[in-house]
Amino acid sequence: MENEQIPPASPSLDNFFNISFDTATRAQVRQAAVWAKICALCAFAGYAIALIVAFFGRLSNLTDIEGAQLGASFRSGSILGAILSAVIGVFINYFLYRFAVSTIKGIDAMDNVATNDGFNHLRRYFRILGILIIIALCFLVLGIGFGIMAGVNRY
Amino acid sequence: MENDQSLIQMQLDYDGGHILHETVRWSRFLSIVGIVALCFCLLMFALVGTALLGVISKLAPGIEELGGLAAGILIVVVLVFFAILGVLVYMLYRFSTLTRRGIDHQDQTAFAAGMKCLKTYFLVSGILAILGLLFNIMSLAKLF
Repeated sequence: MENEQIPPASPSLDNFFNISFDTATRAQVRQAAVWAKICALCAFAGYAIALIVAFFGRLSNLTDIEGAQLGASFRSGSILGAILSAVIGVFINYFLYRFAVSTIKGIDAMDNVATNDGFNHLRRYFRILGILIIIALCFLVLGIGFGIMAGVNRY
Repeated sequence: MENDQSLIQMQLDYDGGHILHETVRWSRFLSIVGIVALCFCLLMFALVGTALLGVISKLAPGIEELGGLAAGILIVVVLVFFAILGVLVYMLYRFSTLTRRGIDHQDQTAFAAGMKCLKTYFLVSGILAILGLLFNIMSLAKLF
């Protein structure tokens, strides 16, 4: 029993306790959160404007030149695109907004739990952006592949 | 009084460290993808810049009267645009690198520098978001 050795604590676990949010760091994190909140709110307003433009905006140039049928299909396409981008954008920016709100609350109240919650939302924000970029890159690679195949088949 | 202030400090706990570790991993990925995409776009602009100028002169007929000045203005505008985006992705990269170093090596200075880079990243993003919103509002005013 006496010979039983206590396993050493994980060095990374110890590391975390030696980092502190000092006054300067707290100010930096708070400012980052304030600007993140501005970003998120601007994004929400931007999506709302894009939806208004898609639903109620005039397509005078296109309807005059290309005809009513093409104008209608272009309008439905732009509405669908605006709705899709608004849904995705609001979903992503919600996490940015939550990061800002929780982090400001945590920093002001010196509350570790709220600050951690804020950084957790930032992690989710970056993760969703990363996953969307991976999906976009996959589509890009597929598109290039199909383009090359179509070119090879033509000649 | 200062001693009291230094005693009341927020420490990065295990959960926070774990969360930040994963955050910097994703932000590093995003920044590297951003840097590669920016380099690619800059290369494409260098290759098809002349053709792009032709398209712009078709869209705005008056611009060809400016001659070489139009090309100069276009190059400056594009370079400023790329420089702003470059600062953005570089700050994200610096945030991920410095914060990770701060957590791994118990380096308070690196951790604080990482947080400063995060602030700069969101500051630039915020200014761009405000400008984007202004352009959106202008387009809204133009449509109605």
